[in-house]
Amino acid sequence: MLNRRRLLQGIAAGTGAALGGSLSPERLLAAPTGSTTPKRIVFFMQNQGFDPKTCIPEGMKSSGSLAKAKLPEPISALEPYKERLHIINGLHGIHTSPSHSAFFGALGGYRGSDGVPPSASTIDYELSKVLPETLLPHLCIGMDSIENMKTKPTIATLSASGAGQPIFMHSNPNHLYQMLYGGISSGDIRLQHEARSSVLNQIEQLAATKGRLLPDTEQQRYGQYVQGFKDVNGLRDRLDTASDHLRKFAPVVDERYSNPEFETDWHDAMLDLGISSLTAGITNTLTIGSGRGEIFGAWKGLGVEQQGHNLGHMNQHGNPIWIKIRQYNSRMLVRIMEKLESVPEGNGTMMDNTLIVYTSNNADKQHTNGANWPVMLLGNLDGAFKTGCFTQLNGKRPINALYTSLLRAAGHNCDRFNMDDKMAKKFDDSTGPLQEVLV
Amino acid sequence: MRRSFNRWPVLVIAFWCGIFSVANAETYTPGQPVSHDFGGFAKAFLADYCLDCHGETSPEGDLSLNDLGSVDEINASTWRNIWAQVTLGEMPPKDAEQPEVIRRLQLSDLIVGELTRVMRDRGGFQAHLDPNKGNFVDHELLFGQLPAEIQLAPTSSPARIWRVTPQEHITRLNELINTEPAFDPNKPGVRTRGDVVPTNHGGELKLYFGTDRIIQWQGGTVAYATSVKSVPVVLSSARSHGLENYPYFYTVNSAEATQIMGVAGDIIRYMAEGPLSIAEAYQITDDPKSIADKMKGDLRGLPTSLVYSTKVARPLTPVSDLMANDVVTEAGLRAAVDYLFEALTFRPPSKPESDAYLAIVQQAIDKLGKEEGAVLGLSSIFLDRDALFRPELVEQGQADSYGRVMLQDWELGMAVNHALRYIKPDETLREAIVEGRMRTKADVEREVKRMLADDSIRKPRVLRFFRDYFDYDLGGYICKDEKALGDTGVSNRGQSHYRAMFDSAASTDRLIELVLQEDRDVLKELLTTDRVVATKGDGIYFGSKRSEEERAASVAAEKEALAATAKKREAELEVIEDEVAELEEMLKASPEEKKLEAKLTAKKKALATARKRSTAAKKRRSNVNHNVNPADVSGTKMFARVSRRSFGNGSMKPERFLATVPEGQRLGILTHPSWLVSHSDAMDNHAIHRGRWIYERLLGGGIPDVPITVDAMLPDEPKKTLRERMRVTREDYCWTCHKKMDPLGLPFEMYNHAGLYRQFELDKPVDTTGEIINSGDPELDGKVANAIELIEKIVASERAEQVFVRHAFRFWMGRNETLNDGPVLQDAYRAYQENGGSMKALLVSLLTSDAFLYRTRVTAVLADGG
Repeated sequence: MLNRRRLLQGIAAGTGAALGGSLSPERLLAAPTGSTTPKRIVFFMQNQGFDPKTCIPEGMKSSGSLAKAKLPEPISALEPYKERLHIINGLHGIHTSPSHSAFFGALGGYRGSDGVPPSASTIDYELSKVLPETLLPHLCIGMDSIENMKTKPTIATLSASGAGQPIFMHSNPNHLYQMLYGGISSGDIRLQHEARSSVLNQIEQLAATKGRLLPDTEQQRYGQYVQGFKDVNGLRDRLDTASDHLRKFAPVVDERYSNPEFETDWHDAMLDLGISSLTAGITNTLTIGSGRGEIFGAWKGLGVEQQGHNLGHMNQHGNPIWIKIRQYNSRMLVRIMEKLESVPEGNGTMMDNTLIVYTSNNADKQHTNGANWPVMLLGNLDGAFKTGCFTQLNGKRPINALYTSLLRAAGHNCDRFNMDDKMAKKFDDSTGPLQEVLV
Repeated sequence: MRRSFNRWPVLVIAFWCGIFSVANAETYTPGQPVSHDFGGFAKAFLADYCLDCHGETSPEGDLSLNDLGSVDEINASTWRNIWAQVTLGEMPPKDAEQPEVIRRLQLSDLIVGELTRVMRDRGGFQAHLDPNKGNFVDHELLFGQLPAEIQLAPTSSPARIWRVTPQEHITRLNELINTEPAFDPNKPGVRTRGDVVPTNHGGELKLYFGTDRIIQWQGGTVAYATSVKSVPVVLSSARSHGLENYPYFYTVNSAEATQIMGVAGDIIRYMAEGPLSIAEAYQITDDPKSIADKMKGDLRGLPTSLVYSTKVARPLTPVSDLMANDVVTEAGLRAAVDYLFEALTFRPPSKPESDAYLAIVQQAIDKLGKEEGAVLGLSSIFLDRDALFRPELVEQGQADSYGRVMLQDWELGMAVNHALRYIKPDETLREAIVEGRMRTKADVEREVKRMLADDSIRKPRVLRFFRDYFDYDLGGYICKDEKALGDTGVSNRGQSHYRAMFDSAASTDRLIELVLQEDRDVLKELLTTDRVVATKGDGIYFGSKRSEEERAASVAAEKEALAATAKKREAELEVIEDEVAELEEMLKASPEEKKLEAKLTAKKKALATARKRSTAAKKRRSNVNHNVNPADVSGTKMFARVSRRSFGNGSMKPERFLATVPEGQRLGILTHPSWLVSHSDAMDNHAIHRGRWIYERLLGGGIPDVPITVDAMLPDEPKKTLRERMRVTREDYCWTCHKKMDPLGLPFEMYNHAGLYRQFELDKPVDTTGEIINSGDPELDGKVANAIELIEKIVASERAEQVFVRHAFRFWMGRNETLNDGPVLQDAYRAYQENGGSMKALLVSLLTSDAFLYRTRVTAVLADGG
């Protein structure tokens, strides 16, 4: 069955390219006055683990308000945003085998490991399907060493649209800019955009021609293939026609894109592009993989000379290197919030209808059994989540329960995410969402 | 079944009897539309055979068919159940009056037609096309005497397009950038050109770039895996058990198409420049020491940590020529286009196709310059229809009187090629196609026999059939509970078990190849062989789980052995100490004796060594797995096909041994861990899956889908055995189906869920009994003591071989058999049997059959489903 919504998802799962059809760009570009409140979710996955001591205020042992607490140095940038923050300690991900990264299992809530294909879809993809529709529902971006981002500008380690169906993340800002804003670009990017558009249009024509003589029984199946190109080309056309709108949000392409001094230049550029895809209303779900789901990564631009695996062998608490990395993350989170706050939406701003989920694909540290999986939430997704507090859980509920909560808040009624009853008997002492996080 | 004969008005009964007599005089041709009106025919059938039990009052199973109307969206699931029960012959019950065979067939066809019509815009109805429903076609009607009223029509398959499989696609792309070694008859089993690209150390199917040229890297396994360039498979395949590749299963969605475009760019760049496209120039050297200054610091996980040799390993093609030349000529461009087109579609482009892609590439070059433009333009060819779908459209050729058209030329050549291979037709087949010698059955027979006889022509599709048929390659994907896994006796540390399972799938592949090479009684041999291809570590998996007493004895024996060793070392130490003391005394007495001094020095060194050995012996801790009595898996050295290096020194290794399984404990593939674990779950064995496999794949039985109202969960009772927990399937409602499966799966309780042989379960002797019930062959029915007896019993039957042939038919025809395929199946079975159980003979028969050679351009769904 051809299903427009599924096609949008399909493209998002590809490279976040393009869509087509009858939906108008105005309606899909996060119209603040629409009948459905636009909502969006950002996943920020820092690799190498998230030591709870780097986020839980000193002396805070049990659940309570953050109002009078002082945030630890690594996340001190979030101090002015405390009322929007919810620190959760005590979820677990034992079943995801997170030592050396759970890879797809971190967002999927199932066993993952290096080289292990996804066994089901991940929460970010599922949310992108149920959140109010946008042109490009799901965008994944990844940050790594400059060498890795150049050599492997797309990899797939964190997100998946189904079993054996990984979703690629983008790491080269030049490519991503062309994809999102080719229609309003100039110079080489414009040329590449035009050339790519021309090639894709011709591919669509060739594909359609070769489908004309197929037997009736094959028309629909092959038709989906042709329709895919129509949607890709259609979305690009619509992005082109929405150029006036996009221009307001598209970042400026500068030296960092073509001539980065450090990898962090590209990290910043990728973040700008990711944020702009939210503010421009192009996407409703953004997944950020800092370290790209693996156990390496580099932050030389922060003055961190060590890179890669060794970073994971360090104790993060009180470690100057990890303080720098976490502070950098925090500044990025602030940047997301500030940008979203600057865009009016409904009676408030975009940030009012947004949730940021900050955690690690490695639970609490690189070599871990996943018994504790700290998470920070920022924002409340139109009032759905409690904020300004710290919640200490007892380690009996899996990250899947948090993901169930996200789905519930997004309007999808389910009791469990990617966990059958048999698994739940062993790994979850309750059912449904985390009552501690939902309003 | 309770029956009541007083619920239907006499008048109505008389009326339906009239219909019955009309139906009785009819003939039935499978695939032809049934002329009856659905409503009337179905109502009559239900009245005659169903309503007595499923009437208005107290209906059996709470299912009343009294007011069941024509098929609609609401009652579709009920009609689907009726279809399954009637088609399988489950209903009416055996002890009740049975309908005529053709009446049953007609109702089945009519329900399928109605469900197809009604559900067309509601997700469709395709259950009858699913390979798991292939056995719904009555085995006796296929292989036995047909009733006179059934008249068969000459068979054919529908004209169609097959989407290439994920394995096929990756192997096709791999050909563009990697040169696999040629077949070496002295090292059969080593991965060579034409073999499938295997999954990697974690079970992921990936395309690797430049790994054949990496001569040095920094760091360990994960660092290597992160540094190397690889891309995951793009095309998806959702099925996990059974035949995976029917043409109608898949299309290519927009996500896959856009990903293919991205991967295409990477491939074209690598085709052009090799490792230079993924590394800095200095990294390409045969002398890593010469770039030591550039390799300083911690580079682990970075692509710059790799050193590539200068030896060109990738295929050099017109694409690399195009990219190497500064000047773009039309000839050079066309050569690159035509080369890439044939490499991706396996046939040369027509002139219009070549012109179209030439224009695309030229335009892109005009816009972006040669390098970027050529990469972008050539990428479009990766998305040509025929690069992703294999057409069997019979657009040329004359239809015979039955409307069938025989495949010919490229379509026929590629169908034959695809039946066996994942890479493009070899030169001989290509010539035959181009020269018009692929147009007849004899042409096909000639080429199939030639390819089957040549071991250097790798035939991964044959191995794929055995993977799909046996389902032995899923063990590494079954997520195990850590404690439950540890309790089996195998290591539950890290990824050890999963790696062992991926290794075991490759080992079983190799065992199957050995049996295929002998080509005698192939199925029987696979089911009863005492041989096993194993890694050194498989001794544990093929071993037996010790009882508590045996374990205690093992611990005690080792303790004793360790103590004995420690005592021996202590004694040795004492001797040397005495000798040193004696020498010291002597030297004290004669300090001028230089020889004595030298002797003392040497002895003191020996003393130091002895002390170390003695201390070590005292400290030595057990590294013996006391939980398992390991099997001896030593034997002839051999190789299994594994991935390119994907995990540094932790990558899968090809080395194997051909060993013999412990006598009385194992018999054939179904008793190997690869199959057993593939049919297990996180906590335990999956006796139902195992039983279902036996019932469907060996006995040819059919199982209806589980009703959506069934809560298919066993109770969570850790202190009870699986057999005890499966008591819930004995409820009347469940047992109708479960009696077909459970008693066939429970004999495999002689193995635990990691595949180890066991005699005890929860400290009690394990119950391994089972039973074959209503198999369709009365000779087979009866109780069995364990899995070995079960296998021995079934393997001796003709039926198992016929069912095997049915599955081979499905795999190679890409569809379920219909009654019209009966003659094809009988011929194939005869060929197999008369040639001593030869797979080659079976394949020649199937691939020269009308079902394989002919296509019909159909619109009616029923013509496909029979």
